[in-house]
Order: sequence, then structure tokens, then C-alpha cells
Amino acid sequence: MPSSPLEIHVQNTKRVLFIDHDEPIFNNRTAHSYVPSTYAGTKQPKFLPEPILAGSAFDETVACGLFPNSPMLPPKNLRTERLKDKRFDYFKTWSGKFEKQLSHLRGKPPETGPDANSPRKVEVETLHVDRYFDALEGPELDTLRASEEILLPEDERWPFLLRFPISSFGICLGVSSQVIMWKNLATSASTKFLHVSLDVNLILWYIAVALVAIVFIIYMLKVIFYFEAVRREYYHPIRINFFFAPWIALLFLAIGVPPSVAQNLHAALWYILMTPIFCLELKIYGQWMSGGQRRLSKVANPSNHLSIVGNFVGALLGASMGLKEGPIFFFAVGLAHYTVLFVTLYQRLPTNETVPKELHPVFFLFVAAPSVASMAWAKIQGSFDYGSRIAFFIALFLYFSLAVRLNFFRGFRFSLAWWGYTFPMTGAATATIKYSNEVPNIVTKSLSVILCVISTLTVTLLLGTTILHAFVLRDLFPNDIAIAISDKRQKTSRKWFHRRTVSSDKDIENYLKFAVSDSNDIEASLAPPSSITNTSIQNSGTAGTHSNQSPSGPTP
Amino acid sequence: MEDEITPHPIKITINQDPDQNDKHCSSILTRLHAGYFRITLSLGAQALLWKTLVEHTHESLALQRVLRTLPSTVILLLWWLSLFTQLTLSLLYLLRCVRHFRMVKAEFSHYVGVNYLFAPWISWLLLLQSAPSVVPKIISYRIIWVFILPVVVLDVKIYGQWFTTEKRLLSIFANPTSQISVIGNLAGAWAAAEMGWRESAVCMFTLGATHYLVVLITLYQRLSGSCRIPARLRPVYFLFVAAPSMGSLAWNSISGSFDTSCKMLFFFSLFLFTSLFIVNKECTTIVAWWAYSFPVSFLALASAEYAQQVKGVVAPGLMLVLSVLSILVFLCLMMFTAFNTNLLFRENDPNFNKSLGNTIH
Repeated sequence: MPSSPLEIHVQNTKRVLFIDHDEPIFNNRTAHSYVPSTYAGTKQPKFLPEPILAGSAFDETVACGLFPNSPMLPPKNLRTERLKDKRFDYFKTWSGKFEKQLSHLRGKPPETGPDANSPRKVEVETLHVDRYFDALEGPELDTLRASEEILLPEDERWPFLLRFPISSFGICLGVSSQVIMWKNLATSASTKFLHVSLDVNLILWYIAVALVAIVFIIYMLKVIFYFEAVRREYYHPIRINFFFAPWIALLFLAIGVPPSVAQNLHAALWYILMTPIFCLELKIYGQWMSGGQRRLSKVANPSNHLSIVGNFVGALLGASMGLKEGPIFFFAVGLAHYTVLFVTLYQRLPTNETVPKELHPVFFLFVAAPSVASMAWAKIQGSFDYGSRIAFFIALFLYFSLAVRLNFFRGFRFSLAWWGYTFPMTGAATATIKYSNEVPNIVTKSLSVILCVISTLTVTLLLGTTILHAFVLRDLFPNDIAIAISDKRQKTSRKWFHRRTVSSDKDIENYLKFAVSDSNDIEASLAPPSSITNTSIQNSGTAGTHSNQSPSGPTP
Repeated sequence: MEDEITPHPIKITINQDPDQNDKHCSSILTRLHAGYFRITLSLGAQALLWKTLVEHTHESLALQRVLRTLPSTVILLLWWLSLFTQLTLSLLYLLRCVRHFRMVKAEFSHYVGVNYLFAPWISWLLLLQSAPSVVPKIISYRIIWVFILPVVVLDVKIYGQWFTTEKRLLSIFANPTSQISVIGNLAGAWAAAEMGWRESAVCMFTLGATHYLVVLITLYQRLSGSCRIPARLRPVYFLFVAAPSMGSLAWNSISGSFDTSCKMLFFFSLFLFTSLFIVNKECTTIVAWWAYSFPVSFLALASAEYAQQVKGVVAPGLMLVLSVLSILVFLCLMMFTAFNTNLLFRENDPNFNKSLGNTIH
């Protein structure tokens, strides 16, 4: 039995240096909004200060998550409640504020020097886009690779806001495009024979408005409370495209507004809605061309169509409002970038890691851009002329080539993003209605009816699946793995260890504090302080064996 | 004496620079490269812009108030200055071809240098277009072919190599300066349309547009095997702005009015300009700075044509903003170069004079 506390430090050193990679982050981020005052008096000096203790709780749980047979598993009661909250502090927006207030509790002031430096460095560090490719796989880049670990525990249910991805705006897209389709069905000359009433459009519009409002509010809450998660979604190669989805949904709502609600919308609305789209695409297209990480040959994927479609939808709305130059502007920009994207996706370059290898519903986004472009061009020119027809036929061809391969769309996990993939089908149906207005014959009319029926059926099916997942299976919002990936791979942790050994003593001492409390905070909550030394000794043995398999963390 | 084995006489010859007199001239010739024609390109574009603006002020009252300060003598002066600069540079480059043909060949095989070989011809075309009424139209009519023909010859050589041989693999060697070849075609189309030759104009325009599509897509993709342009070369990215602007001007001349296709090209160019504006800009040499001027001038020219077509507030306002910007950039560059003429040729540009340097000027 070690006779002095120092020896315990030494024994736990190895373990600490492997586990506490995230320490700089969590040490300071998880500023531990609640410092357990109960521990203040009972701690032996080596277990001070509380923030480190609490921060190590994170590592504790991470370690627990990895080593389920570890004797350190906490009994699940009030201690777990506190653990849970602190784990997600990294993603919380305001946890950083407490860091400064509580930094004095770290103990010796000189320590805060190097300590304060590293977290600041880590705070501004953003995940390199390569990291997403390394850690995730799957057509929507949301499945974790086997060799990766994540920052949050996989077996726990995360807070709802953390599980609410931006791709939920896909529902808004799907429903609001239905609004437009039913409006066209009711008002077009070629579909008058169906006698569709405008009430359908009205009801759907109100439903869509409500849905958009709800999703907007929830996501706003996420922005307010979990800004870090939103930031990580922004840097995700696929999720970035869904940042266009809210604005496109609003544009759809404006296009599909029932005549009984508003006849002529004010032009200012168009400018308001197009501004965020314009800013976003300045950023993204600029990155394609000259920015560092997101080279198109690497990140091009079918979801990029969402960033292009916004241009065409805006052009459509602007032209229907009577604007002249603005719609042409956005049409030109959209067309140019669409050509580039289209060719790149068709090439399926070997360097392209994001194009799904198998067919996936995301491929339906291919149909979106040409169908909306054809409608937009028809509105700009005033009639469905050759330009529109060319675009429309391209859309039809892509639709058919995907439809005949329908049996390959199998075996995919349902996700809310699938709603977003229905709007191309609805868009194609609407474009067919417009085309049949221009060229009214039995073929075009029946085609438009068939496509509308398919689109409605798909949406109904999706609705059923959504309800099933929401209320029966209760996994509509699974843990959003994609935003919780760690900064560095596992194997680099060994390099970090070697580097760490030559770092300042202060750092090591700091980590030692982590280590000791790390192994003990579970028991510490239950056992009196006098027994802490005993438990730490017992645990150090197991800790030693686990040290080689510790999770990865960011290298300082 | 002869019985002994005498070692071979060792001859030591010292190769000296034969002409010590024109060593200074020679060093200029070695340092000159086709990229210097960016200066004349900018001068010509600027002269054309001023001429166009003055022409438009006669039609628009609003502009007259603002642009009355541009007297015609200044425009004439600028034109003569550009002509003089162009003649000097052309002469020097001719001398370089004669004396250092090896270096010119090296330029031709360099994946950036080859594109700048279009620059002299574009400058001449711009000069002819901006010629004041002093120069009779007949002369322009005849000699314009002298300048379009080399563009076509270079086209056949270079574009042909793109898709037939492996000498200039586009996926590896495509870089923003490749757009200069496209601009050459479009400038030829514009000049031909101005002269009234519709078919040749459409032909040149098609050449330019097709290859522009290919180059644009390749550049946007930024394939991983491609030669990377270092971050220092931001001015070269402004060529993205120049090409569609020139295209819109060319189609404007061909079709007679600034129709929807012209507008789309102009808007695309405007969008690229806006997104590039945000990018950090650094330059290494003075000549590189001149690469900023002519794309902005082209954009301003296109906006002038646009404002002619579309009345209202936004279009003339845009024209004003872009023209003022272009003039400001040009004046700053003129002053900077005037104060630092010693740097103009003193800077040894290793990137251009080495045959296969990877870094680009």
C-alpha cells in the first residue's frame, strides 16, 4: 500500500496521460456550473480543486462508456444526474462563462497560466473537414466508424436539443412543396378535370406554416443553448447544405400561398428571404473555388443540390412577384454552379468520399434542380419555352432512371432527412403540370397525374413511417453521432503521450489531479474521504491495464 | 623539348558576356516575360472604359453631372500612353524572341507562361477598340485580323494539346490563368462583332465559351492532383471575374442588345467579384498588382452596357460604383508604378524565367 499520496499520483500518472486528452477542453469548458460544495471540506489536498474533479467526471464517464466491465461504473443515481449535465457542457453555449469565474478554484495561480492558454487554443479550434470523413461513414455521413470514439456517451439519451439535427428542416421542405403542388393542381387549366379544391392547398398551407414555425423555434433554441453543436453541424460536409433548407421552405410557402390568404406578396419579402441564401452561398461557393478545406472534388455530394436549388426557387418566387433583374441574377448564379456540381457528381471522382456508393434516397435531389429551374425559367420568360423544356426533360430523365432502380433503395436507416428528398419528386410533378399547361395532350396530362399520385403516396408513406418512429419505436431523434466526433484519432494519442512527457511539470501536476480524482469521483460521492486512498489504490491497478486503450482526445 | 612527354596543353578559355555594353538591355530582356503585358491590358481596358463612359454620358443626363470631369483630352492622353507602352513592350518582347528564343520557348512550355502569351494580342484588340476617332476605322478594319489570327493559332495548338496529348493534362495543369486564353477568344469575338463580321464573331465566341465551360468546371473542382496555386496569388483569381464579363460584352456585340444571356454572364461575373472581394489579397511583385485592374475594368464595362439596357436606379448605380472602383484601382497602380519604376524590371522573377518552376508569379 502506498504510504504517501504522492505515490498514488505516480501510479495514476500513466492512466491520466492517456485518458485526459480532452482535459484541456473539458477542464475549462465544463466550467462546472455547480461546484460541489460538499466536497470542499472533505477533500484531501490532492483532490482539490473541485472543477478538475468535476471535469474528470467527464473522463470518468468516457472511460466508463468504453470499459463497461470497469469496477468504476457509477451507480445510477443523483451522481449520474450531475454527470449527465456536465458531459454536455462542451456543447452548451454559456458554460464557458463560468470558466473564468471558477478558474481561481483551480488551485495554484501559476497553474492557470498554461492551463488558461491551452483551453483558449482549443476553444477556437474547429474540426477539420477531413476529420468528418475519417470518423464518419455512410451516405449521410452520420454513422461512426468502428475505430472512432465520440465525445458523448453512446448508451445514454442525449438532451433533445442535441439530438435535433438541422436535417429536420427536411420535413418543412417536403410539406411545403406539397402545398405548391396542390395549389397548381387546383388552379392549372390542364388539371381542371380533376376538380381539386383549393381547400386542400389552404389546409396544407396552414399545416406547413405551423410545422415551419415549430421546427424554427426548436432549432433557434438549439442555437441559443447548444451553439457548439450547431457549429459542428455547420462544418459537417453534408449538414451544411441543410442550412439552406429553412429559407427554401419559406420560399416554398410564399410561392404556394393560397389565393384566399394573399394575392400579391410584397417584393420586400423576396429580398428578406434571399439575403441569407445569398450570404450562405457566397461562403460555400467561395470555398469550393478558393477556400482551403472544402474542395469540390473532395466534398461534392448529392446534398449540395440543396445549395443550388435555393437559387432557382428564389428566381421562381421573384419572377412570380414581377421582379425582373433579381431572378435573373440568382438564376445565372445557380445555373453556373449547377453545371459545375452536376459534372463533378456525374464524374464520381475517386477522391470524392461523400458520394454514396449505393443508391440512396439522397439521389433524388438530382431531380430537384432541373425541375425547379425549368419552372423558374418559364416564369422569367413568360412561357414554357425551349430553355424550360430542356431543363424539364433532363429532370424527367433523371427521375425515370432513379425510379426504375427503385428496388435498390433498400436497407437504409430511416432518418428525418428523407422528407427533404421528397420535394424533388413534388417539384417534378409540379413542373409536369406546368408543361402540360403548355402542351396539353393525353400523355402529358396522365404523366402529371401519375407523378402527383406518386408524390402524394410517398409523402403519406413517409408520414406513416415518421409516426411509427416517433410514437412506437421512439427513435425519431436518435443520438446525433455526427456532431460528437472527437478531434483526433485514437492512435495519435500515443504521440501525444510522448510529447506530454516533456511538457511542463505544471501541466503534469494538473493532469495528475485529474487522474486521482478521475478514478475516485464515483466512489467519492458515496464513500467518506478516508477511504478514498484505498479505493484509488485498488483502481490504479485496473487503471493501469486500461491505459493502453484509452480514448482519443485532442493533442495539445 | 620534344623528347620529353609533355602534358597536353591545358587550354583555359574564359567565356565572357560578349556585349558588356548592352548588359543592362540584356538583363531587361531576360527578365521580361509575357506577364508584363498585363500592364498594357489594364491600360487598354481602362482607356476603353473611359471612352465607353463618355459615350454613355451623352445619353444619360444623370451621368453627365458626375462624369463631366473626364475631358476628352485626358482620354486621348491615356490612349496614347497605352499605345506607347504597348509598342515598347512589343518591341522588347520581339527582341527577346530574337536574342533569347530559348527562354520564350521555356515560357511556352510552362503551364502558366503559355496563357500569358495571349495577353499581347488581347491588349492590341482593346487598343484598337478604344481608338479615338482620330484613327480611321479603315485601319482598324484591316489590321484587326493581324491580332485575331495569332489567337486562333495559339488556340489550335494549346486547346488541341488539352484533349489529344498528355503534354498539357488539364486535370493537372489547369489553373486560373488558363482563363486568359478564353478571354483572348472572347476579345477576338467582341472585336470581330464590332467590325461587323458576325460569323467569325460567333465562331470565336463558341470557341471561348466551350473552353470556358471546361476550364471553369475543372478549376472549381480543384482536383487533388492539380498544381496548387499558392495563397499569394490572389490577383490571379480575379481572372474568374474577367472571363464572364468579356463574354457578356462579346455576346452583347453579337446579338445587338444586352439580352438575358448577357445579363446572366454579367451577374455571374458580379457574383464572383463579390465573393472574391472577401478573400485576402497579397502580392509579390508590381506586375502582379496590375492583374487586379483589367478584370475590374471589364466588369465595369459590362455594367456600363447593362446600365444602357436596363434603366432605373440600381443599374446605373452599379455602373457608377464599378467604374469608380476601376478608375481608382487604375490610378493607384499608375502612381505606384510611377514611383517604383526601378522595381519594375529589377525584380528577378524566378518563377517565370525558370522553365518548370512550380511557384507561379
